[in-house]
Parts: sequence; C-alpha cells; structure tokens
Amino acid sequence: MSAGPARRFVLPLGVFVLLVVVWEAAVPLLGIQQIVLPPPSGIAVTMVQTAGPIAYHARHTLATTLIGFGVAVVLGLLLGFAIGAFSLFHDALYPLLVGFNSIPKAAVVPLLVMWFGVGAVPAVLTAFLLAFFPVAVNVAVGLATLEVELRDVLRALGASRWQIFRKVGVPRTMPLFFASLKVAVSSAFVGSVISETVASNAGIGYLMAVAASDFNTRLAFCGLFVLATLGVVLYGLFAAVERRMTAWAYAE
Amino acid sequence: MIELRDVGFEYVTTGRRTRAIQEVSLRVPRGASVAFVGASGCGKSTLLKLIAGLVTATRGIVTVDGRPVVAPLKNVGMAFQNPVLLPWRSVLDNLYLPLEILRENGDRRAVDRAQWRKRALDLLGTVGLAGAESKQPRELSGGMRQRVSLCRALIHEPELLLLDEPFAALDAFTREEMWELHQALRTEQKFTSVLVTHDLREAVFVADTIYVMASDPGRIGHVHEVALPRPRVQADVYGHAATALIGQMRAEIRPPRAPA
Repeated sequence: MSAGPARRFVLPLGVFVLLVVVWEAAVPLLGIQQIVLPPPSGIAVTMVQTAGPIAYHARHTLATTLIGFGVAVVLGLLLGFAIGAFSLFHDALYPLLVGFNSIPKAAVVPLLVMWFGVGAVPAVLTAFLLAFFPVAVNVAVGLATLEVELRDVLRALGASRWQIFRKVGVPRTMPLFFASLKVAVSSAFVGSVISETVASNAGIGYLMAVAASDFNTRLAFCGLFVLATLGVVLYGLFAAVERRMTAWAYAE
Repeated sequence: MIELRDVGFEYVTTGRRTRAIQEVSLRVPRGASVAFVGASGCGKSTLLKLIAGLVTATRGIVTVDGRPVVAPLKNVGMAFQNPVLLPWRSVLDNLYLPLEILRENGDRRAVDRAQWRKRALDLLGTVGLAGAESKQPRELSGGMRQRVSLCRALIHEPELLLLDEPFAALDAFTREEMWELHQALRTEQKFTSVLVTHDLREAVFVADTIYVMASDPGRIGHVHEVALPRPRVQADVYGHAATALIGQMRAEIRPPRAPA
C-alpha cells in the first residue's frame, strides 16, 4: 500500500468536495426544508455574516480547552511519574484512577455547575478531567515497562533510582507521553464543549445550544464546522509535535 | 576475588516460598574466567545477581575482595541476552552512559571527560565496530548491538564482568566471534569474568572453571577445570579433551534415561 502525498491529500479532499456538491444539489432536488438541512452555500453565508460572534465563541472554547489541557498535562505527568516509579503509588492509586475514568464525565458537569456556577470554570475542569487520564496512564506505563536488564546494568554501576529515572525512565517514556498529548487534547476539547453546551454563556457549545433553541439550523452547522476544524487542527498539531520530539521511536 | 560461603537465596511470591539457591560455596580468583551452566531455572542468573549485589543472599555470605556484598557493587559491567541499548542515543552516547553515571557519583574512573571518546573509539575498534560510533542502535544488526552492549559493560574498565547468556540470540558464527572477542578484551583489560550460559561449547571456550548447576533447589553439582591453553582457538573446543568434557557435562545436566 504505497500512497504518495498526492494520493494521501488529494483523494480525501476530492471525496470531501464531492460530498459537499452532492449535499448542495440534494437539498433543492429532494425538496428538503432548510430548517431541517440547509445547503452548504447557506451555511457559508451565515458563517461570513456571523464571523465576529463565531470567532469570539471559538476563541473562548479554544481557551478553556487549552487551559484544561495544560493543567491535565502537568498533573498527569506528575501523577504518571509517581505511579510508574513507585509501586506504593501504583497499588494505592491506579485502581482508583481506572474507576474514576469509567465515570462518564458529562455526568460530572451538573456538580461542577453547582460548585462553580455557570461559566468557564466548569468547562476548564471538564476538559481537565477528560484529558488527565490518558496522560497519567501513558506516562506510568512508559516508566513501569523499563527493561529489567537495563535497570540491572545501571544499578551495577551504582546508579541511584533518581539517576535511572532521569537517564533512562524519562527519555523512554517520552514517545508515550507525546502520543498521549494528541489523545488528551482531543478529549479536553470534547470536555469543554460538553460543559459549554450544558452550562455556559460563551463558547461554541453555548452557541450551538442557543442556535438549537432558536431552530437556527444554519448557525448550528456553522458551530459544527468550527468544532471539526478546531479538533483536526489541535490533533494535527500535537501529532506533529509527537513526530518531531520522538523521531527515534518511529524511524525503523 | 569473589567468594561465596554457604550462600542460599529464597524468595516468596504469592505466599509460596521458593528456594532458588542452596548452599553454594565457591571462590573465583581475581582475573579468572568462570562459567555457570545448567538447565533453565537452576538459579544461574540469580547467582549472577547475588554476586553483583542486585539481590542479597538470605543465607551465607558473598564477598568481593574480602568485603561483604550488601548493596549493588559499583565496579561491575553487565551484559544480557537482550542488549538493551538506548534507542534515542547514538552508539557513542550509549557507551557514555556508564561514564555519565560514574561521573555524577564522583567516581574517579570517569572524571576525565577528554578521555571518554578515545576510550570508546578504542573499544569499538577492538570489537570490529570502528566507524560505527555515530550510528543509531536501530541501524545495527543483532550481533553489532551485542558488541556495543559488551563495550558498554567494559567502558569504565570494571574489575568484574558479569554476562548472562549474552550471545544466546546470535547465530553460531557470530557467537564464535564473540567468544574470541571476549578473550581479546580480557587479555587487554584483565577483568574477572563470570558467564552464565546454556552453551557448553561456549563455556569451554570462555572459562577456566565451569560450574555445572543442579536444579530444585539451585546448587552446584559438578566443577570442571578447563585445561585448554590460552589463547584458545575454535579448533580447541572440537578437540578430544573438549568433546569429552562437553559430553560429560551434558550427561550431568540431563542424565540419560532408560528407553521406556
């Protein structure tokens, strides 16, 4: 399966354009009401007309996502290191972490709203809660799977735990850490949008909730388009960071 | 000199007590080369870890140069079947790893940084890897990685080299080359060598003394001195004396059974 760059980019782009064309043609041909499904051209018009407010809400979503993600990365890294390096932490915390992760995070939003009120705080926290787990688990796994032989080679040189952690543990965990970032940023994004939809007065999630209550289908589609774009860009960004930071793990 | 006196090692997993090693007593003079052979699970590797101080004897005492081993020794080189190079470091940087650790810990054998490169390049030359210093581990064959692993074990000129089946994953010819390499390195650096292996021919080529271990619990069953002169050549391990010795050790490890 050799796929040149032309094929990898042009082919999916072509399919996308084809879909848009079919959609555009199908709405009038099948007599679909615009309130049910507006044509792409109509969505584009609304997009341009409401560019200002959409950009404002997109910035808000991006900010809550990135703040939640940032906190999740820092705390996830620390907890991951603790769990991966000390079996005491692993045994005490890992089961709780797994149990906690199995809670659907959307269910936590109402609690967050009770505590912090409607606004950006619940969105940031939901983003954090969703993004935290993949980072912590990946880092912990990376550390815990250190080859016994390598540990013995270093211990037989008089290396301390801290030296083994620094010289070997951290670098070999980096590919897993960077791999977790692209998952975590996507999760953070989902988290902040969920929270905005339920309880906020800004953000794309809020915009879509308002559009839905006004039966403004075009605006809802605009929100969807912005979310898709943001999601792809964030994922792509961190996938690129991953490739760049840990090329040794991929070049085979 | 390594000395083990009535050494025993037990460990407990899921409530079951396992006796891995029982009543092992032996002496390895400084600069000697010894090998432990035996069936899988006879405690050969555990014995190696006991000597290195990576595990502590539950009975008896292990001493190196007269001092009891109660913590990991600091002047040991180790190599395993899995070469475990660091994939994010070049060959040269992999060889620097032990020196970095020793330097951070204030060991004088590693302080002079100017000599690191020369020492690493000399070693790579000896093992036939001249010019490979800036390669990445993934670019090397299994045999080449194992050579680098051996160099890493010797870069700090340890007094003791511990080898746990280091050549087991290599093809027969590469393995023979590694035996010769081991001999050449030992002539140069005069380290004491302890080898754990399944390969009886390897043991005969490499060791002056071979300990044949028995299982359940792990203990020394038989001891053989290898009378072959040094330096040894491959033909030596196919001679009459070597073949007889290998046959005898084989019988000791797997006693012949009467046909059913």
